[in-house]
Parts: sequence; structure tokens; C-alpha cells
Amino acid sequence: MQYSQKVLDHFMKPHNIGKLENPDAEATEGSPACGDQISIFLKINPETNIIENIKFQSYGCASNIATGSIITDMAMGKTIEEAKNITWKGAADELDGLPAVKMHCSVLAVDTLKKAIKKYEIEHGLAEAETFSKKTIVEELKKVIYPGVGEDIVTLKMVKYVGFENGIAIIDVDIPKFDKFRDNVAEEIKEHLETFDEIKEVKVTI
Amino acid sequence: MQRIYFNNCLTSKPAPEVVEITTEYMKNRYYFPENFNATGTEISSDLELAKKIIADSIAANSTEIHFTSGGTAANNIAIKGYLTANSNKGTHIICSVIDYPDILTNAAFFEKSGFDVTYLNADNEGFIDLEQLKNSLREDTILFMTTIGNHTVGTIQPIKEIREILDSAEQKIAMHVDACEAYARIPINVNELGIDLMSISAHKIHGPQGVGALYQRKGIVLGQVQHGVNRMDNLQTGGMNIASIAGFAKAVELAFDEKEDNMAKIRKLSDYLLNKIESIIPDTLLNGPRGNRRAPHNINISFDYIEGEAIMMMMDINGVSISTGSACASQGLKPNYVMMALGRNHEQSHSSMKFTLSRYNTFQEIDYTVEKLAEVVKELRSRSPLCN
Repeated sequence: MQYSQKVLDHFMKPHNIGKLENPDAEATEGSPACGDQISIFLKINPETNIIENIKFQSYGCASNIATGSIITDMAMGKTIEEAKNITWKGAADELDGLPAVKMHCSVLAVDTLKKAIKKYEIEHGLAEAETFSKKTIVEELKKVIYPGVGEDIVTLKMVKYVGFENGIAIIDVDIPKFDKFRDNVAEEIKEHLETFDEIKEVKVTI
Repeated sequence: MQRIYFNNCLTSKPAPEVVEITTEYMKNRYYFPENFNATGTEISSDLELAKKIIADSIAANSTEIHFTSGGTAANNIAIKGYLTANSNKGTHIICSVIDYPDILTNAAFFEKSGFDVTYLNADNEGFIDLEQLKNSLREDTILFMTTIGNHTVGTIQPIKEIREILDSAEQKIAMHVDACEAYARIPINVNELGIDLMSISAHKIHGPQGVGALYQRKGIVLGQVQHGVNRMDNLQTGGMNIASIAGFAKAVELAFDEKEDNMAKIRKLSDYLLNKIESIIPDTLLNGPRGNRRAPHNINISFDYIEGEAIMMMMDINGVSISTGSACASQGLKPNYVMMALGRNHEQSHSSMKFTLSRYNTFQEIDYTVEKLAEVVKELRSRSPLCN
């Protein structure tokens, strides 16, 4: 497995790296414990809703840095509506592809961008905070990538059951016993769902 | 610029003399051992000589050496062979949580087959808990396994003390050690240390890939794990990699060449590397012990606030090969299990970088490497939200 030249270029000389002072919105996702964390800072023109400046900071691997670089390029100068249409697949394509085991980096970068935009929209009355439901859990599971093929576990139909009761999320996933990514997927599910205040406990059965 | 290579325990560059003799065997001495005819007997005596060279390097007898297709094959022949032949005496085995995967996966395999396995803990420098070992001994314990020089942090286990503890049991407890990392880097005398079975590998000491050896103490019985045509003995069935065995023996001769004093040379290089990193780069953490309790070729060090795959990639682009314990660079995206067992946190594991040196590395290479490393660490820290 190897990185495309474009990934290496963005990794070695990332665009838009750094922090913005007094940003209009910012978000940080991931954690050092997981090995990747990204912070995104936005300056947004309140009249046009155009992203006039965007920067990112990264703790992570080469693809984490490269995806941070590419999505900030993609979002720069766009309206927030346009930026919301950036997908992790689109970001990976812009980098001439990512290895399957690295697709989660693209998911993290795009998710962080969307979280920052969402915060801005809520603060400026452009959107309302979503009410939490089982659907929220399913949407979050779409961000959990099965590293064997670089696709999310919902699309791959690996999720067999989603339950939510009394603050406990129960997720039943179908992954073969010998699969080397079993533990990783279970951890990823927990990391994603534990970020919701509404969820007190995540039970993953594989 | 020529690549600077610090992954010598992943695999190492075959010595020119090894390439020469291996090529010679492939061209002109490609026979199998046989009785009576000229070609077969000639190769038989070559193999005997190769065994003697390896046996002498560990103070063993050449009848106690078997050639294998590598370190992993030697580990499997030893562990599976010993446990299948001796299960009537007991079904309890002991190893540690930080052992090489060959040992851990074999332990798990036998655990599923009904054996009891005790996994000893290690302290924060990677030394096995000897008190736990003492308390783990049972009447049915038949085998203890460990990795002499830890493959991740270089910790040299106190084999002699372990042997004394094992000998306190009423029954014989065999000791198998994986010495693929430690062999030719620290002196190993199988008699002084009381080792019964030991695996070694050629390609980590500038020999050819795909060949190793198993030391089997006289009197230790192994069941046959691979069946087939018997050319040397029942542990070495099938065809033999004669050219690589010849290269292996040459690599051992070179590694143990007293004039060169390679072990001391490697120690000087790694001391120089460690001192230089620690004096130039702030916020680092050495993983594993310091000084003579550490295998001389191994330096494993964590860099705060940044992630190891990024360090590895940037160093690679700068022409330097090193490896990382980061989950991002691992097969199953998991943090390194040795680092976690040593009590390191996820960040320290993700940022751990491993250098494994050889006698072919130079002080100039280390100067260049640390200069580049300092730049890389500074650059990645400038991008990190953890230190800005």
C-alpha cells in the first residue's frame, strides 16, 4: 500500500495550516488517544456566508494532514452551503485516492469541517440543533469506516441492529471472528457515539 | 543520496561476503546432502561446518542445531514440537504479555487446544515480573517461553535468574527463547543461561532472508510438526535452502569476528544516537531500559505532541528508514501492544519511533538523521493542536 503523490505533496507542504485568531467558528474532532485529531477554524462573511478564510491544525498521520489540507482548499471561498456538500469520498478523490485503511482520516477531516459549520449556523440562527434520536446514531455510524475496504459500516450492511434506550446505545455489528479490524471497528463505534451527551453507555456486540 | 537504514531488525542488508558465497552455492554448489556420492557428501560436510559455526557462536554442539526456513519456523517447530511431545507431563505454559507474536500466537493456539497459559506482566522498562513467575509455577508447568531481547524496546530478560526460578520446580520446565533480535548483539551461552530451545534468524544479522536455525538442547524431545522426506533429520523435512544456509554461516562468522568487536561497535553507535536525540530534541521519552540491560542495536523513543507515522513518512522522504509503534502504521490500526503493556499511554505509543542499528551504520549517518529528525519533529509540532 502506498500514498498517491498528491497525498505526499499535501503532507509535506500542507495548505492552510495553522490557527485563526478570533475565528467565527471552530471545531476539534478525534483524539490523541486514537492517533488522529484535527482542529478547523473558519472566518465567514456574515452577509454572503462565504468562507473567507479557513485553517487547520493536525495531530495525525500523513493522510490526516493531507486530508486537512485538501478539504480546507476545497472549502476556501465557498459558501457554507457549498462547503457542506464536501464529502469524504470527494476529498479522497481530490487526493487521487487514499488507501482503504486511511479513509477514516478523510471522514474525520470532513466531519470536523461540518461540525464547525453547524456550530456557526446554530449560533447565527441559520439552523437548529438537531434533536437526538436513533437516526442520529445511524447517521454517526455512517462515519465509521471499515478499514478493510475503506467504506462505512452502514453502507457495507455490517450493522445488524441499532438500539437506544435509557441512554444506552446498543449496536450489533457483523464482522467475521478472524477479521483483524474487529477491535478497531468496535473502538471506532464507541469513540464516535460517546461524543453525544445523550449517550451514557455504548454496548457493541460483534 | 544513499538511503540510511535503521530497520535492521525488520530485515538487514546481506553482507557482501554473504551475497558472494550464496551466489557461489547457487551457481556451483546447488546439491542436496546425500550419502556416498561426491556432490552429496560434499554438501553434507558443508552443512556440518555451517552447523558448527552457528553452534560455536552460542556454545552449543553442532548436533543441537537444525536449520529452518527462518525464525518463525524455528519458533513453531520448538513450541509445537515440545508441547505435542510433552503434554503427558503437563499442560501449563508460561510466557509474557510483551513477547514476540510468534510466541503469543502459539500460546493462544495451545490455549484453544486445552492448555493453560499464564501471561506474565512486565514492568515499565519491559522486564518480566519474576515474582509473578515464581507464583505462577505449577506441578503441570512444562514450558516457559520468552523473547531475550524484546523486539520493540530491546529489554534483555534476566534469563539466568529465570532459569533458577524454573529450576525451583520439582519437575523439568523447559525454556524456549526467541533470540532473533538478540542473537549476535549480546553474548548468548546456552549452557550458562540454561536455555533448552532457541530460535535465531539469518536476515537480521546481514544473512539471507528465509533461513534460520533452532537450537535444541540434547535430551529435549520435540514432536515432529512437519512431515515429509527426511534429508537431515525429522525436524528438517523437505528440500533445503543450501545456498542460504551457506550465507547464514558466513553472516555468523562475520558478526562474531572478534577483531571487529561488532557488539561494542553497535553499542557505541546507538549510545551516540540516543545522546544526540536527547540533547537536541526536547520532550522525548526513551522506551525500555538504559545501558547494558538493553540490546545494543535498539533505540525506541517517543516524541510528545506528534504522531509516529507522520514522522516515519517525513524521514522516509528524507531518505531515512525508521519504524513506528503508531496504530496508523499498523496492520490492524491498533496501538503497539508492548508499549501499552509497559504502561505507556496511547499518545506515547503512537509517537514511538524505533531505530534498529547495525554495524554498517555510521556516525555520519546518525548526524544527518538526527539533524533531519529535529527538523521533522519541529515541523510536525508546529502543525499540532496539542502544542499550539
